[in-house]
Amino acid sequence: MTSLRTEIASRPAIVALRRGWLHVVLVPLALLWLSPLVWILVTSLKARTEVFDPAAGFWPQVLRWENYPAALSVAPFGTYLVNSILVTGGILAAQLVTITLAAYAFARLTFPGKNLLFTLFLLQIMFPIYATFLTNFVTVRELGLLNSLPAMIVPFVASGYGTFMLRQAFRQVPTELADAARLDGCGHVGILWHVYLPLVKPTLIAFGIITVVTHWNDYMWPLLVTNSEAVRTLPIGLGLLAKSDSGADWTRLMAATVVVVSPLLVLFVVFQRRFVDSFMHAGLK
Amino acid sequence: MSNKSTQDRGGLPATRRALVAGAAATVASAALLRGARAQARTKLQFMYPVGVSGDINKLVAGMIAKFNAAHPTIEVEAVYAGNYDNTEQKVITALGVGEPPATWLPINSALQAFLGLDALADVTAKAKADDVYQDFIPGFLETCVSDGKLYGLPFQPSTPVLYLNRTAMKAAGIAKAPETWTELLDVAKALTIREKGELKRWGLTIGGGWHDWIFECYCRQNELVPWTKDKVLFDNPAALDALEFWVKMEQAGVMPKASTWEGSANDFMAGRTAMLYHSTGSLTNLRKSSSFEVDVAFMPKNKAFGACQGGGPIMIAKKQSDAAIEASWTFARWMTSTEVQSQWGRDTGYLAVRKSSWETPEMKAYLKEVPQAKVALDQSAYAGAFLQVPGYHKVREYLKSALDRTLAGEIKPDAALKEANAASNREIQRLLRRRG
Amino acid sequence: MPFGAPFQVRLREAGLAYLLLLPSLVFLAAFTYWPILRSVWFSFHDVVLGDSRIIWLGLENYQRLWDDRLFWKALGNTVFYTVITIPVAIVCALLMAVALDSKLRGMAIYRSAFFYPVMIPSVAAGMVWVFLYSAGYGPINQGLRLIGLPDTAWLYDSSWALPAIMVMSVWKYSGYFMLILLAALKLVPSDLYEAARLDGVSAFDRLIHITLPLISPTLYFVAIIGLLHSYQIFDYVYVMTHGGPADATNVLTFYIYQNGFQYQDIGYASTLANVLLLFVGGLIAVMATVFGRRVHYLGR
Repeated sequence: MTSLRTEIASRPAIVALRRGWLHVVLVPLALLWLSPLVWILVTSLKARTEVFDPAAGFWPQVLRWENYPAALSVAPFGTYLVNSILVTGGILAAQLVTITLAAYAFARLTFPGKNLLFTLFLLQIMFPIYATFLTNFVTVRELGLLNSLPAMIVPFVASGYGTFMLRQAFRQVPTELADAARLDGCGHVGILWHVYLPLVKPTLIAFGIITVVTHWNDYMWPLLVTNSEAVRTLPIGLGLLAKSDSGADWTRLMAATVVVVSPLLVLFVVFQRRFVDSFMHAGLK
Repeated sequence: MSNKSTQDRGGLPATRRALVAGAAATVASAALLRGARAQARTKLQFMYPVGVSGDINKLVAGMIAKFNAAHPTIEVEAVYAGNYDNTEQKVITALGVGEPPATWLPINSALQAFLGLDALADVTAKAKADDVYQDFIPGFLETCVSDGKLYGLPFQPSTPVLYLNRTAMKAAGIAKAPETWTELLDVAKALTIREKGELKRWGLTIGGGWHDWIFECYCRQNELVPWTKDKVLFDNPAALDALEFWVKMEQAGVMPKASTWEGSANDFMAGRTAMLYHSTGSLTNLRKSSSFEVDVAFMPKNKAFGACQGGGPIMIAKKQSDAAIEASWTFARWMTSTEVQSQWGRDTGYLAVRKSSWETPEMKAYLKEVPQAKVALDQSAYAGAFLQVPGYHKVREYLKSALDRTLAGEIKPDAALKEANAASNREIQRLLRRRG
Repeated sequence: MPFGAPFQVRLREAGLAYLLLLPSLVFLAAFTYWPILRSVWFSFHDVVLGDSRIIWLGLENYQRLWDDRLFWKALGNTVFYTVITIPVAIVCALLMAVALDSKLRGMAIYRSAFFYPVMIPSVAAGMVWVFLYSAGYGPINQGLRLIGLPDTAWLYDSSWALPAIMVMSVWKYSGYFMLILLAALKLVPSDLYEAARLDGVSAFDRLIHITLPLISPTLYFVAIIGLLHSYQIFDYVYVMTHGGPADATNVLTFYIYQNGFQYQDIGYASTLANVLLLFVGGLIAVMATVFGRRVHYLGR
């Protein structure tokens, strides 16, 4: 193993070639992908009359940073930000617990009704969410949760999606590792905690990013179950600028979009660095 | 509050309750605290949409604060509820569980939908005891009337108008806005630009997504109101004539087959179309975001001038205590008072609903600065309510689909309108049967 | 209990499994199964949002669905969207993931560049693409003009509007699948392909014969999730075209929303949702038998 590695490292020409070839393909593709973001950023700094004026050119005449405070002034974005963090964080924490337990059962335990139960978990992603809103609204009201942060969390505590994703990852972990841990006297909880979870960390991170991004941008359900500004979330503030019947408020909408997306982008850049090879880190050589 | 949830939980699996009980208790105690603080005041909720710009949220908050300060016995809580559709959905969902807001602001076409749910307080007597019938502009008031009874007060009316790119018109040597359909077609032809067969600028675009609303205006310009309260009349020859005129414009190559509401506004601002049918509510946005001179004109007439109202009234829930209805009336009445309406109209571009609001010195000064605002007001003398039939959402979709398919050349105008008419009336009958 | 009878061991294991599933099942029961059961019940009734009266209809809603031209159109649109968009997005995602599964410089930038579309709130993303697709002044048309193609009003044209939304979906969701696949690649012991590389196996062969089989459990997951992904375009249809022109972009989830919330026709919306559930459930069952069997797991 170690010798293989040294051998690769000792061939810088191949590495350089491979790197160069990759960049040649990736740079144009990345630029293509990024172009809408560039437009968002540029528009967020333009004057209203510049956005669609073909004669005005691509770049703003003057950088209008005042669009940002102007966008944020339409609603209490500070409160919305805190609420978004609490709701998204709450959903993530709850889901990580429920899916870890359930995925372990589906991946590593044998029990009657396993396939049926797994299908039942998948029902959650197969049933269109808009068809659940009415019944769930009634349920949330009966629980006395209307117009509160938990109302935006409880429907998403269980995740058929996350369970499925994590089950697939758990089943990739070589059984010998678990057997070795069992011989060392570990119970199921110990094996789950010390063997499985560390090994599937990239999957957990990917799932975490996806679930945070999804619920960070939820609009319809929060709009339906909340009334007070004190419990509302960022997308509702964004809706104020976008959901108009008279054409969008382009410059401020784009400014608010940048504000709403920035925390996610930072989070992503930080966490994608944790994508490292599981089996190298686990000391499996 | 926790008591209530214990009573109502009838058919729920026991497990669901236990798990969220903790969170529920927290919320319940918060609600108790809120209740204790404001015991002496009648509390009202007001659900409203944001139709023209995010600033409306601030404006409404300011108005509510002013109202609450002036009325020690009433406390209004304003709830932003999305766009018109979202607002209607939120109110109706709340109605379904028996807890509607005290007042709300839907689009006027929803009148029959709410009446079908027996949700609206009849305010005819209160309005008669007041100056409502004297001072409100009749065309606006009519949007809240069914069978001679008044259900709400108009608050932010709008109509479609014809937006003009003055700079483009000057360049083409056109001095005045088209006044008849024939002139419209001629002007549109003159404003359309093609280079080597490729289109550079449309003469005219009809704002998509709400083109059924604009189509009703065309019907009214042919002296047809294409609906009564229990059926639609899309198969009437006057409606067919209107659609055939659209086809004629499309085939003359002066307007696109279809567009979207957002996209058409962008097209106008970017100079891609020289004329545009859009809502008066868009006036401020189009005027402030265009790099050229924007003008507004009456929608051209055929047999007559004609328009129909968009925009919304403040409605009051029926199922609440007399005291709450009274307080709601006080609120609706204040929101539609002379000064408040004058201010609201100037801030948003919506039309003030009272004659007296247009006579205030501030409004007169505003009209000097933005004379276009007057056009919409003058036009509303010819305007009626928009498609107030049960199930209007579905009827709108049937009609829009018929218009789209006709302009795309998939179907003949008469067949399309007949089909939409039959489907719409079937749907209306279904709902009326249900109502019994 | 290593010396217990096998039956007891199995019993204990099953008991533990049910215990681990319990937290999920409680919430699924409350917020998924209960709505589905209600939806089945609603579909046999005339139910109007906001109205407490519920009228028995028997199979009338299902009969109505069978005769509903728009239902079949929406179903066709949904299938067309899924069959084209998902394979394209997954292949893009796979290539991105393989390319970005490295410790080279600049990976953070590439990964962010491909993933950020997922983060943009749908109302904002939809609006931006309305602009990008504009005829004349829209950047996409300007680009096409450079290579001599004619101007097209993509979203105003009933034959192009749905393909236009599909192209946007590839932009929006390739990064999403990429992230999942990237995580899967990290579970694969990397010595395997390094050894193969040294043996002179070509990059393409390594991808087909080593990488793909090794991440097959995740590909299986992504394929099934992709099948359900057409659900996600509701937001874009709502913002960009509202189902038009001439219903060209009406997909089933949008049609369900329209019926349930806009038309307040809960009975019919429930009928649509149930039929969609059966349809999708059937497809997944087929995929599970055809594809699921070929999945190779490293564990057990």
